[in-house]
Amino acid sequence: MTKLSEAYKPIQARSIPKAPLNVKFDTLKKIMSYKRAKYCLAFLFLIVIIGVFAPILAPYNPNKLFYDALLQPPSKEHLLGTDAIGRDTLSRLIYGVRVTLSVSVFALGITFVAGTFIGLICAYIGGVVDNILMRIMDILLALPSIILALAIVAILGPSLTNAMLAVGIASIPGFARLIRGAALTIKSSGYVEASRSIGSSHSWILRRQFLPNVTGVLIVYTTLFIGVAILDTAALSFIGLGAQPPTSEWGTMLSEGKDYLYEAWWLATFPGLAITAVVFSVNFLGDALRDVFDPKSKG
Amino acid sequence: MENVLEVKELTTQFKGKVGYLTVVDKVDFTVRKGEVMGIVGESGCGKSVTSLSILQLLDKKGKVSGGEIRFKDIDLLKQGEKELRKIRGKEISMIFQDPMTSLNPVLTIGKQIGEIIVKHEKQKGSNVKSKVVELLQLVGIPRANELFHEYPHRLSGGMKQRVMIAMAIACNPSLLIADEPTTALDVTIQAQILDLLRSLKDDMDMSILLITHDLGVVAEICDRVVVMYAGQVVETTDSRTLLRNPRHPYTTGLIESTPQQSTIGKRLKSIPGQVPTPDEYGMGCRFADRCPKAMEICNHGVPPLLMIDENTSCRCWLYKEEEHGV
Amino acid sequence: MTTSLLQVRDLEKRFRAQKSFFQAKQYVHAVNGVSLELNDKETIGIVGESGCGKSTTGRCLLRLIEPTKGEILFQGRDITKLSKVEMNKLRKEIQMVFQDPMESMNPKLTIREILSEPLIAHKIPKAQHVELIVKTLDLVGLSEKHLFRYPHEFSGGQRQRIGIARAIILRPKIVVLDEPVSALDVSVQSQILNLLQDLQEELGLSYIFISHDLGVVQHIVHRIGVMYLGEMVEIGEKEKIFDKPLHPYTQALISAIPKSDPDEVKERIILTGELPSPSNPPSGCKFHPRCMYATDTCRSAKPEMREVEGRKVACHLYN
Repeated sequence: MTKLSEAYKPIQARSIPKAPLNVKFDTLKKIMSYKRAKYCLAFLFLIVIIGVFAPILAPYNPNKLFYDALLQPPSKEHLLGTDAIGRDTLSRLIYGVRVTLSVSVFALGITFVAGTFIGLICAYIGGVVDNILMRIMDILLALPSIILALAIVAILGPSLTNAMLAVGIASIPGFARLIRGAALTIKSSGYVEASRSIGSSHSWILRRQFLPNVTGVLIVYTTLFIGVAILDTAALSFIGLGAQPPTSEWGTMLSEGKDYLYEAWWLATFPGLAITAVVFSVNFLGDALRDVFDPKSKG
Repeated sequence: MENVLEVKELTTQFKGKVGYLTVVDKVDFTVRKGEVMGIVGESGCGKSVTSLSILQLLDKKGKVSGGEIRFKDIDLLKQGEKELRKIRGKEISMIFQDPMTSLNPVLTIGKQIGEIIVKHEKQKGSNVKSKVVELLQLVGIPRANELFHEYPHRLSGGMKQRVMIAMAIACNPSLLIADEPTTALDVTIQAQILDLLRSLKDDMDMSILLITHDLGVVAEICDRVVVMYAGQVVETTDSRTLLRNPRHPYTTGLIESTPQQSTIGKRLKSIPGQVPTPDEYGMGCRFADRCPKAMEICNHGVPPLLMIDENTSCRCWLYKEEEHGV
Repeated sequence: MTTSLLQVRDLEKRFRAQKSFFQAKQYVHAVNGVSLELNDKETIGIVGESGCGKSTTGRCLLRLIEPTKGEILFQGRDITKLSKVEMNKLRKEIQMVFQDPMESMNPKLTIREILSEPLIAHKIPKAQHVELIVKTLDLVGLSEKHLFRYPHEFSGGQRQRIGIARAIILRPKIVVLDEPVSALDVSVQSQILNLLQDLQEELGLSYIFISHDLGVVQHIVHRIGVMYLGEMVEIGEKEKIFDKPLHPYTQALISAIPKSDPDEVKERIILTGELPSPSNPPSGCKFHPRCMYATDTCRSAKPEMREVEGRKVACHLYN
């Protein structure tokens, strides 16, 4: 131990180390060590690329009608066939990526911001505020999220934007509850008490003590909710309350295809496969992330 | 005196990030009939792993990789899981530090103790109940008849530890392994439990292997002691000699850093630095960089465990030197 | 007589123990009428078994738990009457060190961030941060090379040093130490105890040392207060209490310390029974069911705190 006098000698003479660059490759590396997660991540990345470069990648304009090729099975010209009015299924699928991705990202944004906020506030303030907010969430949770979304769209009127809003809002209760749960354990932890004993402000405690410790949970839940958002949007479109024809959306395509299930299997099959594949990979990725971020799995 | 347990060159390894780490390194000791043998050391010295190795209760990452554990006439390391299960609880039983987590919360106390009697002694019905009540009385639980039907969460920490002890002695084991049995308890309760252990030893002629970090507990109850440091035995002797005349510098350091009546007003001696982790073990004596008496040789080789006198052995180059000097 | 640095008078904390909505309100007296004084550069120990209210008392002093009743005078000012904002300012003067340093530090923050927290909270200009942090690390025996590490990269003893650094970085007057060494190994424990004594000398700190371990307490404190079921039963100078404990509970506690000297006479007082539940405390003197000297008076009347042989004791034996 140094004596006080020594400790107070000017420190310019000593070199204070600079903060190391705070880039954390470990987390990414860890995720990559899960084989399934790696493929899922690669697949999702591919999907995003397809969405971004849809105009280049799609063989035709998705709304172009091929009058000479109605309900064509997969062929050289139309790899995944055409529909009843002659649109190219592959092109529609590729453009559909854009709709699906933007819808889920937008919906998720709503859930993420509102859910995190409500969850943190409930856990941190507790008492009456927590009780009231959480009881409201409980009531909303009692309905399946798709029913809730239906109700919201019914009020707002069917359109893609409203469907996004509805899906986003409908997921808030579940999300808020999960975040609240995670935050409650943090609230009872010693370091929050220590922070209070130091005299830190509430906003500081929320920002510096809560947020870094819920990021793991946030990332995991967000990923898992992408799957839900995609499914819900597709479901809304399927029953005609989401994307309106002629928008190329997977749910809408599925819905249109169901009328021709016996004559033209490709119409419903490919959008269905696309939805399944994306949701599956998102969920697998979420599971892997949970393993990575779950403190108990850290050896 | 007859040896109940002989541990020879016990080595236990744990799977680490790179290969296996030796957590317990060639540990030797014996437990005689009717004595309390203590294993003392700080956290990370391998004392708990040693005790778990005896009954082979290590988790998947750990394995006993060498040595011999002779209990009466059988080598425990050569027994299969089936034979071991017969020995565990009946011949050798164990109590743990935290009685809260070692009791099943959904079974009544009577059921939990009764189960062991049914399993190992093949008794039935009312016999079991009277045996359980007898055991509960033996470990000093008041109103044993009522508590028979209680669930563990209704009991205080000290009472739970008594229940654990009752479970452990249900089949009259010849060896009781107690892993920090009083650490989680208050001082007044600790005194009660130590008292109970002592009387059990006397009345039932049981041998006890007591694992602790507290030299006070050693002085209270142990007949002989093994001091462990960084996975190795550094000193073995009877507890009186250990506390009066410690040989190994680590033991001396431990005793001097314990606050006592005699140290009031003085600055406490302390051992600088900290216990090395298994991946930091070097070529030399593992205590060398914290040792006030370290010499050149200490950094180059692990000293052997030498018999200094008839009941003391010590792992230190200091004593090697003396021997050469004579 | 000069007023002491901290004066606590009749501190009381009740917790509501309502098991269900339909039950009548019940209260648990976690702390019941505790009074103590702390002088400049002094260490007072508060000892007792788990559930005796020693930690609650410590937390009440910082108002981490709001006391139900009583006065806490810090330099003559009653801090129980301060507004939350004023109290937060005063936290600069009274800091706390917690039992489990791992628990009390955010695992996701570096040491630099952890130690900046008090500086940010009390609006110390940013330019001084690094300098103050490095100086404080020096004081507790760590160095600037540890700045950017995370708590889990340290050993238990080093972590507790960081916990202490965080508490003293603002140069407080009082540090409440809640079982600061109980989670540590013996050899490390003595390092920390020595460090605490050095810091007291150099920075002129006053400590409130909360512990269940009388062995540790007797080494570091000047005065000692023994608590039982939320009440102070004996309080006074350490030497007097250790030489001749008056309260039967203090006697039992002291005799229960395991002696590491094998030749010391082992005439132990072994208390029978267990700590009663604080929600349903015994009548009269709360210690009477476990006390070997208990009389009828003890069962019915609560003993008052009295000055006996240079210390204060609450026991009917010394009327």
